Amino acid sequence: MILIKNISKTYDGITNAVDNLSLTIQSGSVFGFLGPNGAGKTTAIKMLVGINTPDAGSIMIGDESPLAVSTRENIGFMPEEPHFYDQLTGLEFLEFSSDLFKNSRGKSKTELEEILKKVNIYEARHSKIRTYSKGMKQRLGFAQAIVNDPTYIFLDEPLEGLDPIGRREIKKIIETIKEEGKTIFFNSHILADVEALCDQIGIIHKGRLIYSGPVNQFRKDMSLEDQFVKTIKSL
Amino acid sequence: MKNTLVIAKSTFRQTIRDKILYGIVVFALIFLGSTVVLGSLSLGEEVFVIRNLGLAGIYIFGLIITIFLGATIVYDEVEKRTTYFLLSKPVSRADVVMGKFLGLLAAVSITTLLMLGAYLLTVVLSGGNFDYLSIGAVFLQIMEMAVLIAILILFSVFTTPLAATIYTILILYIGHLLPLIKQYALNSGLVAKYILTAVYYIFPNLEKFDIRNLIVHQIQVSFKESAISVGYAVIYVVLVVYLAQLLLNKKEL
Repeated sequence: MILIKNISKTYDGITNAVDNLSLTIQSGSVFGFLGPNGAGKTTAIKMLVGINTPDAGSIMIGDESPLAVSTRENIGFMPEEPHFYDQLTGLEFLEFSSDLFKNSRGKSKTELEEILKKVNIYEARHSKIRTYSKGMKQRLGFAQAIVNDPTYIFLDEPLEGLDPIGRREIKKIIETIKEEGKTIFFNSHILADVEALCDQIGIIHKGRLIYSGPVNQFRKDMSLEDQFVKTIKSL
Repeated sequence: MKNTLVIAKSTFRQTIRDKILYGIVVFALIFLGSTVVLGSLSLGEEVFVIRNLGLAGIYIFGLIITIFLGATIVYDEVEKRTTYFLLSKPVSRADVVMGKFLGLLAAVSITTLLMLGAYLLTVVLSGGNFDYLSIGAVFLQIMEMAVLIAILILFSVFTTPLAATIYTILILYIGHLLPLIKQYALNSGLVAKYILTAVYYIFPNLEKFDIRNLIVHQIQVSFKESAISVGYAVIYVVLVVYLAQLLLNKKEL
């Protein structure tokens, strides 16, 4: 379970990027975190994976803080518009990512190649990342997020920059991972995909949580997109 | 420690494949080869000129490579957000700084040793003896580069690559003037003396690593003196890298 209790984050002591956010995400569920640009989604996800710490409040992933090494062994994170070490090949980068985890260190080449096959960039495994398209980088970002077979997966805009085929493939992988009982937390702008994948959603606006619960309960008789736009405009 | 080494390996791979680095190394090798021509212009002092210019060339090109690779190393990591990958994994910010330092030092050392190999070959092919003393000079040069890499990483944490380059060049200049500054401090008034003494102890004394002139004149440096210089470099690097790590810890990513 992911337990977020009253977390706040201020930048430069002025901007309240996240304001008193509380959420509970059940194990094995897919949680979609929505909000307009600048709402605080990325700030929140960075705190969840331990890149930054909240100014107030607490986060528990499983039974521990995300700052604990043991927690991070079980976390997979894909940042928004991922940038890589361009001079490395896709396979080298995945090997590098894998070696940073105790439980996946020394994974065989075949095992790593299997992951690259899963995200459909196996053919480009020996090409330098600088030659990759945006979509290929996105897939590599996804591959490194699952390289340690994590229990909790955090994805920041995972479908951004992918063509319809790529989006379908990544969605399929998310569904497979969900079936394996993993907990998935993802930020997205693409509401149709959120609707298709998520059990629960949270909506954040100007750093404050304005809704948290099942998708159907939020959208009522409208599409998620229409209800989302209507709700945000009314604030 | 394991993750530090994993980051160091990846940093080494990344930097050693930089095409601009290849360009600088090729240029350095051409320069080392050209010392033969310059040596032939002297009257009976060919090998002396080759050794003099060769060691100076290794130093200058080593410096260019160090500054070129070091100025952007942490800055790029933060700006391009590759730190997000690292810090969401069981990796501390200290691992990142130390890994970057070791990876870069390995890349600079390898390229410097390549230049040393070309230099030794040039000296032997020009009729000189195997210049084993120069190995010590280049080893101490690598120690100097280690200090500069640590300083570049420190600046790279909080400033732009251009500013980091300018500050490091200033420190390089001051660092080689420190023995003179110490002398000057002895003859100065009380306030100036304190300020100059503080400068002497805060800035890295890079003259400790410069034995090229002695080596060119076939003067051997004692093991004790070289060991003190190595110890000085290690202590300075540890302190600066620790400071860089503290600053990175405070940085909001």
